[in-house]
Amino acid sequence: MNKDKVILSIAIGIVCVILISVIFTQFKTIDEADIVGITTARDDELTAMLSTWKQKQEELQEQLDNTNQRIAEYNEKITSNQASEELLQEELEQTNLLTGQTDVVGEGVIVTLSDGEKSATITELLELINELRLAGAEAISINDQRIINMTEIVDTGGVILVNQERIVSPYVVKAIGDTKYLASALNSKNTGFIDSRRNSGLNIELEENANIKIYKYSGRREQLKFKYAKEVEE
Amino acid sequence: MKNKSIATVSIAISCVVLTVGIIMQLNTIKSFNDTVGGQDFYDSSLRDEVLRWKEKSDNTAKELENAEKELTRVREKSTENDDGLSATEQQIKDNYKLLGVTSLEGPGVEITVDDDNDINLTTSGPIIDVGNHIVHYFDIIHIVNELKNAGAEAISVNGQRIVRTTAIVCIGNVIMINDEKVGAPFTIRAIGLPEMLAPALTRSGGYLDYLKSWGLETDIKRLDKVQIPKYTGVFQAKYAKTVE
Repeated sequence: MNKDKVILSIAIGIVCVILISVIFTQFKTIDEADIVGITTARDDELTAMLSTWKQKQEELQEQLDNTNQRIAEYNEKITSNQASEELLQEELEQTNLLTGQTDVVGEGVIVTLSDGEKSATITELLELINELRLAGAEAISINDQRIINMTEIVDTGGVILVNQERIVSPYVVKAIGDTKYLASALNSKNTGFIDSRRNSGLNIELEENANIKIYKYSGRREQLKFKYAKEVEE
Repeated sequence: MKNKSIATVSIAISCVVLTVGIIMQLNTIKSFNDTVGGQDFYDSSLRDEVLRWKEKSDNTAKELENAEKELTRVREKSTENDDGLSATEQQIKDNYKLLGVTSLEGPGVEITVDDDNDINLTTSGPIIDVGNHIVHYFDIIHIVNELKNAGAEAISVNGQRIVRTTAIVCIGNVIMINDEKVGAPFTIRAIGLPEMLAPALTRSGGYLDYLKSWGLETDIKRLDKVQIPKYTGVFQAKYAKTVE
């Protein structure tokens, strides 16, 4: 009777140990289920990439159609021996607009950075412009200095220069583009430009505006004409 | 005898509980595998679609490139006998150069910046903040800005032309420029006067100097000829309209 009991106890003991270790192994496997999170993230990334490429394709197709139409128009002028002045003027105006050589109006946002516990530095201005570009801004200015392709923002011992012109706080950054898109990009909770910079002690105001005017580039003309760069013949 | 039956019953109950536990676990694992399996399948079809659209977009970009060449040709042809019109034609060409939609070459610099490869993540010892030893997106923004300030006419980062709409951002642990992934080492090319461009970065307190102090690998070469590829995207003016 006693011997039986001992054997039984031992048997139960062994079974318990085995079961417990099996369960622990299972728990470990379950821990690895967290990988699902990463897989999902990668999926999000793919979805984002897909929409980027789709959009890019659409834009390129539109541009291709426009270019082909322009070619046809020039060809018509050439065969009928007419001056192409109108066509040229149209193309010049379009490229002047894109390179920041005209005053422009449109909807968008006005972001004002003023001194709080902290003052804005060129780092905040560079980051803000970067964010606005990411959100599709078509024209940007800081204190009415137009930001063109080669515009620099520099700090020379506490003085901030944009297009070699001195600007001072408050910094009024205007951007024309899709108002909703620009605003929501800056407004993302905690991680967005506005929240994160407010938390670090900067005063920031965002205004949505349906009719913003941004002045043309007024800096050195030589910035608009290359001296060293020559076109590569392909 | 009574003792024995109590023991049997309790063993039976334990067995039932443990069995149910194990079955639950197995079920969780099964559904986990299903999700992962399913995800993999979804992933690859999504990935295929991304690739398909990228290819489509690349093809359209090529077509556009040819169309633009043809446009340049007919534009030139339509103005060849008229000085006034030729001047306008030249202005248009200059604007396209400014926009960054033509490949350019000229004297300049080539900068290389790389993560600090001496940092070994597996060695024990003082805790190292890896973030201090890799190249960040804002490092690239600062270098590009310094080059612009030193009069650079055209800039590219790992083959991506810096244009008026270029954003340099960090998504997860990847740097994206013009919506394309780029990674270390970074090769930044700029056309301009090498004697102006190089010192702007290498001077003491300059940005390369600063990165070097963190142990990052930096290098700068002055070159007689640097080639910078064009931007392959499209500029739009949907919202901004010219006013007189």
